[in-house]
Amino acid sequence: MPSESGPGRGAEPHYLACAGRMVAGAEETWRRRLVGEFFARGGFPTAADEDWRHSGLDLTKTLYGPFEGALPANGTPPGWTEGFASAARLRNGLVETVSAPAGGGLLEAFGRGGPALSPGATRFGEDGASAESGGNGAGNGTGNGTGNGTGADAEGQLAHPLETLNAALSDCGARLEVPADADCPPVLLHSSRSGEPGAERMLHPRFFVELGAGSRAVVVEAHEGGDGGDSGEADSGWTNPSAFCRIGENAELHYLRLDREPERVAHTGRVTFELGRDARLRCTVFSLGAGRSRTEVRALLQAEGADAELNGLFLGARSAAADHHTLVVHAAPRGSSRQLFKSVLAEEARAVFDGKVVVTPGAVGTDAAQSNRTLLLSRRAETHTRPRLEINADDVKCAHGAAIGRLDEDALFYLRSRGLGAMDSREILIRAFAGEVIERAGAAPVRALAEAELAAMRPRWSDPPA
Amino acid sequence: MSPPLLEIRGLEVAASGKPILRGLDLEIPPGETHAVMGPNGSGKSTLAHVIAGREGYEITAGTIRYRGEDLTEAEPEERARRGVFLAFQYPVEIPGVNNTYFLKAALNEIRKHRGLPELDAVDFLSLMRERVKALDFDADLVKRPVNEGFSGGEKKRNEILQLSVLEPTLAVLDETDSGLDIDALRIVADGVNRMRSPERSFLVITHYQRLLNHIVPDRVHVLQGGRIVDSGGGELALRLEREGYGKPLEPAAV
Repeated sequence: MPSESGPGRGAEPHYLACAGRMVAGAEETWRRRLVGEFFARGGFPTAADEDWRHSGLDLTKTLYGPFEGALPANGTPPGWTEGFASAARLRNGLVETVSAPAGGGLLEAFGRGGPALSPGATRFGEDGASAESGGNGAGNGTGNGTGNGTGADAEGQLAHPLETLNAALSDCGARLEVPADADCPPVLLHSSRSGEPGAERMLHPRFFVELGAGSRAVVVEAHEGGDGGDSGEADSGWTNPSAFCRIGENAELHYLRLDREPERVAHTGRVTFELGRDARLRCTVFSLGAGRSRTEVRALLQAEGADAELNGLFLGARSAAADHHTLVVHAAPRGSSRQLFKSVLAEEARAVFDGKVVVTPGAVGTDAAQSNRTLLLSRRAETHTRPRLEINADDVKCAHGAAIGRLDEDALFYLRSRGLGAMDSREILIRAFAGEVIERAGAAPVRALAEAELAAMRPRWSDPPA
Repeated sequence: MSPPLLEIRGLEVAASGKPILRGLDLEIPPGETHAVMGPNGSGKSTLAHVIAGREGYEITAGTIRYRGEDLTEAEPEERARRGVFLAFQYPVEIPGVNNTYFLKAALNEIRKHRGLPELDAVDFLSLMRERVKALDFDADLVKRPVNEGFSGGEKKRNEILQLSVLEPTLAVLDETDSGLDIDALRIVADGVNRMRSPERSFLVITHYQRLLNHIVPDRVHVLQGGRIVDSGGGELALRLEREGYGKPLEPAAV
């Protein structure tokens, strides 16, 4: 159990120790310890912290201030953190009640406050037929060990205050296990607020994905707070999810992360990948929320020949602000990684890209590339970009580049000279820019959502006349 | 004689406060092909861009009338929909925008303006196939992003492909011959010649007489120092080729 393997011996808990099953009953000590640790290490990050400097906001006040005083001293989640997570299969763009993934496996969700288990925890036998209900604290102890061959350095890189807090306060989550050589159909991991709409709440969902050797999976992690619709109040509060994915030897994961929170929900999320030998990852992050968000994508290439592709797109308008932070650790020879993060910024939107690539000694033959490109549609929009490379091995290829620009006037004139209207021409160029990331999201429903967000931004593509 | 399709009177144009065109007069009747030749810096490309409606130029005097209507205030897309086409000297690369998609959207904007029904994908593709074949254009290029990674010759041929699909009434070719080898030049010229008709006029802007062996103009004008200083038949182009443009008739503006 995590309560045994994690804290309690003075040693730093490996982050995976916090990534195990939701704990029940015996977790009180565990949670209390984590909250204590959180405050002992300085509590909420502020703009004075190097990694938070570029956010340009006093995060403590703006995001967490309202919650700080309300944090439970004993670590027990207060009632108002009610939320629930769900896990479901996607078929033809529709969410479908869980049934057996082909080849067996496990897909389950945990929650409190909301529907007890939504849509239910289901365990699958090899024949894919037998199902068994599970609840909080049910067996299945895999995944809560303390790292396989993860060096202390990497652990240090991955330590994160909000991760600790997520572990301490988590009250919902979901887990997917794909057995070796299975081909898992698309799975949706989803968090939502339960209870009264509009009430201010925080939410700390945890997701865990484990791919056995030679397996393949498509996973969509989605965070969409209620926007209030025609009537009622939009959600407000703070969502702080953590996701952990272990990709076994020669396995392939396609991971899509979607943030579409309403304006008054602050979002700070992390997804961490561990790649085994010859494992392949394609992760595409969409930040489409109206408020403030910070998404961190961390990939640990632990064994030889792993390949990681990280993509991100932020479509920002009004006062939306999104940070994309990446950390790619090449800890084994002949790994490759490519990053492409783009932002389209209208009105007063603000973007931060902070991308770090670490090549540890011995990771020879590493091939890493990173690119950050920003399209500014307004003079009031703002972007900060910070590429960081730490190369401690020889025979390594590391490339990075950043570009910030406006729409190409020559291209606009070219399109208009053929009869296309001024706004249509802008749209064509903006879609072409964003399309490079959107087309990498294999799942049609996610692509369609991103396209719809782009279309909704259209009235905001030009500065109002001064 | 029918009224001119394009009628430019006393056109004065400045860019960043610097005068470039200084009282230019030019008339092109329907169905005629006129060449404008001139040395570097004489204002040839400015003339082409101003006809197409490029922003960044200040028209300080004069008029550009097209089919009897003043064009000077019209947006570039408005001019295109009314039948004006500019073949660019330097066609722009537009990554991520598919050539076929772009051209279909453009054609349908123009058809809409003319009150014609939009072409569906099937009809458009068969039109494209026919035009691509006639121009000996690499069919794979039309599936690629607009001009991206095209050679100089391919870009120019793509301009002529667009011309042949959009079927404008007035086509301005801005140094379409630059950067073309003799075979490509012939293909481009054949494409243009096939489109010549009693309703369609061409304004061929070039530095060299060579192109005019293939696209034989009805009239040749010499542009120097921002105005037309001489006009004549095809023999004028040959004379210029022999004797050069000589000194500008007046010193260039500072």
